[in-house]
Amino acid sequence: MSVSMFLLLAVMGMAFDLGRVYIARNEAQVFTDAAAMTAANQLDGTAAGIGRAKAAVAQLPMRWNLGTQEFTGIIVEFGPDGTKWETDPKSASGVTYVRVSAPANNLEITFLRAVGGPTSFTVPARSVAASNPVRLTE
Amino acid sequence: MMRFLSASGARDQNRSTRPAERAEQARRVPRERRNQSGHAMLELAVCAGVMVSFLAGTFQFGYTFYIYNQLVTAVGNGGRYAAMRTYRSATQQDVERGASAIRNLVVYGDSQPSADVQPIIPNLKPEQVDVRWIANGEGKPVAVDVSIREYTVDGVFRAFTFAGRPSVEFPYVGRYAAGEREP
Repeated sequence: MSVSMFLLLAVMGMAFDLGRVYIARNEAQVFTDAAAMTAANQLDGTAAGIGRAKAAVAQLPMRWNLGTQEFTGIIVEFGPDGTKWETDPKSASGVTYVRVSAPANNLEITFLRAVGGPTSFTVPARSVAASNPVRLTE
Repeated sequence: MMRFLSASGARDQNRSTRPAERAEQARRVPRERRNQSGHAMLELAVCAGVMVSFLAGTFQFGYTFYIYNQLVTAVGNGGRYAAMRTYRSATQQDVERGASAIRNLVVYGDSQPSADVQPIIPNLKPEQVDVRWIANGEGKPVAVDVSIREYTVDGVFRAFTFAGRPSVEFPYVGRYAAGEREP
């Protein structure tokens, strides 16, 4: 009986918890794609453009965890060529790339923890976009 | 021949005595042991009820999550397509035709689907997809919202309805062609 219960919980955990993990990952990826394009759309080689990019990302209305939770801990980084990243670049001229990361998507695990799985699962996502023209690059 | 007959007779005799033997054996089994088979059936009935409902719930949630994940992907693809598509707004009909192409991409994965194409997600119709343009003061689009208005996941045991989600908002980065008509 206990063996069957263990297996049953494991199967339920796979279906329920991993299903939610995959949804959260997909939601986070779609969000970072939209956020990176939104930020890249604001870049114009000025410090004001970088400020507008950060504000535009913060104002995106998208949510995760089946559309119930707001994204938190979003990191917006800028760079001239897609290799070096800074959250507050000293010079805004030449900044054409933006990288958005949503690393703090911590999902509570319901069933898998009962069979020795983790109590929570972090689902990060990251996208890179470039301006002129605005496009997703990663 | 006699031996064969006697063997056959012995076999018949055995067959005729089997029910009697079984009854005798049943009399020999203690009452407690006979009652145990009833307990096992009761346990099976209770456990089967619990396990079947657990498995039904697992299937139900698994299928619902699978469909929701497909909706997220479809809406994300629709949002990306809308963000880069040329916005033609010579007449209101052109705007509506553009929105229709975006809805088709969400539902069928193709902006101009053929007549016999099936939706990617079961029973999803273009009318269930909302496309909302966010424009600046001059009427130029700056962003586009794509969302599912209302969709019911028809599982076997229960139905879940998603209203207004999943939803995405992308910046509009396509070409703004105010005077052009949709082809």
